[in-house]
Amino acid sequence: MKSRRFFALFLVASLLLTIVSACVAPAPQVVEKVVTQVVEKEKQVEVVVTSTPMPKQPVTIVFWHAYNEVSPENEMLVKTLIPAFEKANPDIKVESLAVPYDQFRQKLLTSMAGGVAPDLIRSDIIWVPELADIGALARLDEIMPDFEAYKAAVFPGPLSTNVYQGHTYGLPLDTNTRVWFWNKEMYAAAGIAEPPKTIDDVAAQCAKIKALGEDKFVFADGGTYAWAVLPWIWSFGGSINDPDITKATGYLNGPDTVKAYEYLLKMIQDGCLSPSILGGGVDAGTGYAQDIYANYIDGPWMYPIYQSQFPNKQLHAALMPAGKGGSISVVGGEDIVLMQQSQHKEEALKFLRFTQSDEYQLKMAETGQMPVVAKLVDTDYMKNHPYYGTFLEQLKTAKARTPHPAWTKMDEILTNAGQAILRGEKPVQKALDDAAAEIDALLAKK
Amino acid sequence: MRLHGFQRLIPYLFLLPGLLLFLTWMVYPLLRALQISVYDWKLLPGQVSQFVGLANYREVFTDPIFWSTLRNTLMYTVVTVTGQMALGLVAALLVHQAVRGRIFFRTLYYFPVITSWVIVSLLFKYLFDSSRSGLINYLLVAVLHLLPREIGWLSDARAAWAPIMSLGVWKGVGWSMMIFLAALQMVPLELYEVASIDGAGGWRKLWNVTLPMIRPTLIFVLVMLVIGGFQAFISIYLITAGGPMQRTEVLLSHMYNQGFKYLKFGYGAALSYVLAAIIATISFLQIKFLRRGVEV
Repeated sequence: MKSRRFFALFLVASLLLTIVSACVAPAPQVVEKVVTQVVEKEKQVEVVVTSTPMPKQPVTIVFWHAYNEVSPENEMLVKTLIPAFEKANPDIKVESLAVPYDQFRQKLLTSMAGGVAPDLIRSDIIWVPELADIGALARLDEIMPDFEAYKAAVFPGPLSTNVYQGHTYGLPLDTNTRVWFWNKEMYAAAGIAEPPKTIDDVAAQCAKIKALGEDKFVFADGGTYAWAVLPWIWSFGGSINDPDITKATGYLNGPDTVKAYEYLLKMIQDGCLSPSILGGGVDAGTGYAQDIYANYIDGPWMYPIYQSQFPNKQLHAALMPAGKGGSISVVGGEDIVLMQQSQHKEEALKFLRFTQSDEYQLKMAETGQMPVVAKLVDTDYMKNHPYYGTFLEQLKTAKARTPHPAWTKMDEILTNAGQAILRGEKPVQKALDDAAAEIDALLAKK
Repeated sequence: MRLHGFQRLIPYLFLLPGLLLFLTWMVYPLLRALQISVYDWKLLPGQVSQFVGLANYREVFTDPIFWSTLRNTLMYTVVTVTGQMALGLVAALLVHQAVRGRIFFRTLYYFPVITSWVIVSLLFKYLFDSSRSGLINYLLVAVLHLLPREIGWLSDARAAWAPIMSLGVWKGVGWSMMIFLAALQMVPLELYEVASIDGAGGWRKLWNVTLPMIRPTLIFVLVMLVIGGFQAFISIYLITAGGPMQRTEVLLSHMYNQGFKYLKFGYGAALSYVLAAIIATISFLQIKFLRRGVEV
């Protein structure tokens, strides 16, 4: 009897403990307070360091990036650049961790929830607004005394991807954009002289390419997500939201955006746009190499990939064919940002500054990462580079995706609308009206 | 034997580690999720999470995607549970009858059960590749000439269920076979002898002797498989990721997206409690109405 009572008591006690700990843990606090607490803590640390000069223990800072574990980028970073930095800063050790891109965001969120975020991350430019919004990032324009000098040195386009609600949270690390790859061998077989200058030139290729075979296509892409469709929308003169990012109605369902989707719909109905855009068929990069696709758009990272996978096939780059809006492509790339949870912000900033140096930028440029420091464009290295020229030219007009914390959701709405249109499930105008209304609701929330 | 003092404590000391693990990894997360589900939950430690009461639960029932994922989950469960039970029973009956190689066949059918979900999901994704190079398309079009052209298995909202469901059935048949096989071995042989004397044939014996005798096992397998069906996630996440256009989204993948894609952890937690309530209700109803005097 007694033992049973003891056991019951124990069980109740442990359950109570669990409940109490569960309820106590999140202890609602006011955000502003926490921020000041963090700042105070830092100040205290500074005081301690200056008042008692102790023998310096090397500080380890953790840097996450999404370079492939076995890639020229990672090798350059780990074997050349980090050792160079550590040699110049013997009191700092840099621990670099390659996190696969598709797991990056989730792994980062989990580590932040547990309070063990890395110090620095190489973030996809499109994650920065969201991370800034949840308070994960330190404001570089506030904590970096020499920020203005670094800000002035980089291209304004890539820099703009670090700005959220009036503050700058990071610096660009590398940039890229998608350009028009045209298949010289297929052009020769079809009797097409040169890459298309305009969107109409692309449509005009249809009959000639189809004459090569039923399974040949003028153009291919991997889906209807923003990264794929935005170059078409913008070149047609359309857009997905207003410049102030308050609404999509009147933009996403405006006449020029509608024309862009109608164009793609006609291409797929004519059999000139590969079904890979619906998620089937051969992927765009492979299809180009196998002479199935006469054109596709992609970034500079394809050159090293082609060198290793399709060494006998050449990529030929041209600018995105122009429409009413011009020849507009989409800006990609990565920013380097400092996490608010970092315990070693001073040391992390030293490495962040190092990533903006000529040495770092030019070394990474050798591995296919396009530099962001403006003055490097005039160096011999960049001028004589075999393929950066077209990308630099395209970057002059390229635009960035909407910097908004709800971007992931917006992109999904856009993807679904594109699928409904190209599958013929919804009329173009109706699909875009619906999507615009959905995005309006997202943008109104903030 | 009477135990005294410290001796009486000993059993509980042995129970303690398991209990602690259970409390840490099951009870605590469950309660924490319940708490999260009534907040507009902020991820970062130290940020204000606003108490929103039942708002997240209300959102569940007004969310059109929730209803479509519920439909998908039910459809997946019905198809895969039926498939696993029917094929599992057939396999069990055959293996039970097999005079030679019983262990071999048992192992063979059980093999998919012990494979990793991740690996076989990726394998099925490649088998059902939408292009000509997918093995299934290649067999159907180029070898057997059953179809004029390739099926976009993963790009067509209806066809995408084929790899997902066939994987669910293939992977689960071995488990239900194993349980059925154990039950079949418990059926007294005399019953079959009596049935034979009464002139019953094979089907008759199956229908009137075997199935009634393994009824508790059938119900057990049914309940477990339905619970499993509602928890389908890895295969869907890896094969279609809920696409195209969220048409193959199920409850768990929808829940996962709310948390890790859109950072709506409160809403995701509310979804998980709704899912738990659905599973508990269905399991309760199954046991209540199917048990009829037998212990499950």
